[in-house]
Amino acid sequence: MTNNTSAASGAPVKLRSKKGHERRTNGAIYTVLTVMSIVWLVPFVFLVLQSFRSYKLEKGGMVDYLLPKHFSLDNYAFLFEGSNFFSWCGRALLAALACAVVTALLVHAAGKWLDGRDAAGRGARVGAIGGCLAAGFVVLMALAAALQGFSLAANLVRVACTLIAFLLLGWVIARVYLKQDSKLLRSIPGYVVEDKHEGAKKLIAMMAEFLVLAVLVQYVLKPMEMSQYVRWYVNTLTIALFTSVIQTAIVLSVSYALSRLRFKGRKLIMNTVLVLGLFPGFLTMITLYFLLKQMGLTQAGAVPGLILIYCASSGMGYYISKGFFDTIPKSLDESARIDGATRFQVFLKIIMPLAKPIVIYTILMAFMAPWGDYVFASYVAFGHQNGYNVAVGLYNWVNTNDFQNYFTRFCAGGVLVAVPITALFLALQKYYVEGVTGGAVKG
Amino acid sequence: MASLKLEHVKKVYDKNVVAVHDFNLEIKDKEFIVFVGPSGCGKSTTLRMIAGLEDISDGTLTIGDRVVNDVEPKDRDIAMVFQNYALYPHITVYENMAFSLRLRKMDNEEVHRRVCQAAEILGITEYLARKPKNLSGGQRQRVAIGRAIVREPQVFLMDEPLSNLDAKLRNQMRAEIILLRKRIDTTFIYVTHDQTEAMTLGDRIVIMKDGYIQQVGTPQEVFETPRNLFVAGFIGSPQMNFLKAKLVKAAGGYQAELYGLKVPLSEEKCALLAKHGAGSQDVILGVRPEHTQLVFDRADNTIEGVLRVNEMMGSELHLHVDLKDGTSVILRIPTLELTEDQRRSLTYGNTLRFTFPERVTQLFDPKSEESLLY
Repeated sequence: MTNNTSAASGAPVKLRSKKGHERRTNGAIYTVLTVMSIVWLVPFVFLVLQSFRSYKLEKGGMVDYLLPKHFSLDNYAFLFEGSNFFSWCGRALLAALACAVVTALLVHAAGKWLDGRDAAGRGARVGAIGGCLAAGFVVLMALAAALQGFSLAANLVRVACTLIAFLLLGWVIARVYLKQDSKLLRSIPGYVVEDKHEGAKKLIAMMAEFLVLAVLVQYVLKPMEMSQYVRWYVNTLTIALFTSVIQTAIVLSVSYALSRLRFKGRKLIMNTVLVLGLFPGFLTMITLYFLLKQMGLTQAGAVPGLILIYCASSGMGYYISKGFFDTIPKSLDESARIDGATRFQVFLKIIMPLAKPIVIYTILMAFMAPWGDYVFASYVAFGHQNGYNVAVGLYNWVNTNDFQNYFTRFCAGGVLVAVPITALFLALQKYYVEGVTGGAVKG
Repeated sequence: MASLKLEHVKKVYDKNVVAVHDFNLEIKDKEFIVFVGPSGCGKSTTLRMIAGLEDISDGTLTIGDRVVNDVEPKDRDIAMVFQNYALYPHITVYENMAFSLRLRKMDNEEVHRRVCQAAEILGITEYLARKPKNLSGGQRQRVAIGRAIVREPQVFLMDEPLSNLDAKLRNQMRAEIILLRKRIDTTFIYVTHDQTEAMTLGDRIVIMKDGYIQQVGTPQEVFETPRNLFVAGFIGSPQMNFLKAKLVKAAGGYQAELYGLKVPLSEEKCALLAKHGAGSQDVILGVRPEHTQLVFDRADNTIEGVLRVNEMMGSELHLHVDLKDGTSVILRIPTLELTEDQRRSLTYGNTLRFTFPERVTQLFDPKSEESLLY
């Protein structure tokens, strides 16, 4: 652009000097970036390389060479030692596959049975199918439990879990079948299905749902035997998943309310929260510890305790998403309300799809904070190894145990911690840049 | 299809800003009502109160025979078209139009039938599978209207639906709204700031200013018998000319005198003036630009002025004339009525004379700004 304008004004000398200036600036920027990226990358490369140095063959915490002499997976093997992690995961996957196949057949059969009936008839029949399935499954589970001699409480949990799991199943059937009005859509002249991969997406979504379901059922039927590391990993994952779900729900609803509703004290709340947010969270550490202890949520109860802590002040993080909601035209809300939607339906069906980037952002942030937290996790679980999260556990290896011996295993643990976060970022990064409000209003 | 009744409706915002004062109006079933006025006159606020998007501070709003002051918008059985379209950008045109029906848990076949029918009326069938961002302004506005008509609502609200369109498209859509109105015979309330839209669309026009209703009437009524200075100036383009005049009461009746022109008023007008108790007093005489006539052949009983601007509009000339006391007057003269010589004489700085028939004059009280002939 700048080149064009200067060329048009007929000043070639100026043009050359401008270009030279640009090149110099770019050169400086790239040099700085290269140096900084080396500084940033070196520790990570070091960590990854160390994690492949066998703790059996090449002993010692710090060694004077970078590349390990024998590349081995000993450190990783140690992390899973004493755990049936892989066979357990395999079984869950198999169960998920079996579920998916059975459901696909069921949906096909149900489709034939339901075809040509009106909405109410179909609803009733889908309900009947789901009900029969759920009931049958509960009976089977109870039988299995009786044979294995579990306690009553465990049985109740199992029954509840499977019931939830199979409600999910019924929902999948309903969703896959009842929403298929593409026959109607195709009768519109010139209608082209926009998303060619719709079928594949539906299938993947179904698989994912069954995976979750299978893990749940597996977990209830036969909990995984865990090594120390796997235990910490599962702890961290549980905390992070629950926190991200709860926190996202709270943050988004608070921001939506503050963005759209006008009520007394709205400004006051926003300002108070802003000022409160300026205080570091650690200030409340001691108080929080005693409060949690009163409720029995420290040490052995560290996982629910930590979820409580992380979710407690989540509404205070409303600022960014409120800013985003403010950019969605209010007339969309109004139009939907006149169209017959309740406030909640507006939020769910209009605002949420439009706010996808900010929803993704909120989920990521809510997941990452507990995933990498050390401070709260260390004192809530204080001294109780089964309540540690990964950060605290790994730190304890190199701190209280033998640093020389455990360092490479610590590195391996660290690499595995980075895996889910990296995957999450890669999968979701496109939503960061994607704007979806185009065409809503004039513009 | 329903009638509406607004009784003493009032809107007070925070800090005691009153947007609408004591709004009283009865809207008949299947009537096309237009709210018109300059920006900030409360017309949109009134519409939004009818829609349920704003609380009603005082008074009652009745739709059909139900008082709906505290009824949620979704239960009022109304549809609304917004100025900025407010289409849902993440779903197709088809789903945009089907949205309200799906919320009502309507059967798929019925949804499909209604959407296709509405799309056909509006000529957007081929765009049904597109997303709103791939449509032009006019098409988006059609979708917005389509989304409202699939509902088959009792009352159809439109908030400046054409003001985002360019001039040509606006005229076209205006004609289409007239046709649409014939096809879906229901109660319409239409808000605009454009008096042409108001005149062409409305069965009755509600002219508002500063939160007060100025006049309610058919387009012809508000054009021919404006109730006050504001209405007279607002309706009609170019604006009505206001001239200072003296009302003289004589034995036979009244006579208006201005700039050397004497206008004896008709018996009908005299009766109205007498009813208002007017004596010999200052008045403002209003006359529309299109009702003026140029006079070339005589000097007596005319008004004299200096031509400042001559706008050639094609079929007519708009002449901006300064009178001797500085008052500016606009004359609208059909081109065909002038000879070549006469037309050539209409150049900057020349003096010209004009007059107007008594029949078209309006008289206003300069203090209260009310019409003396209403």
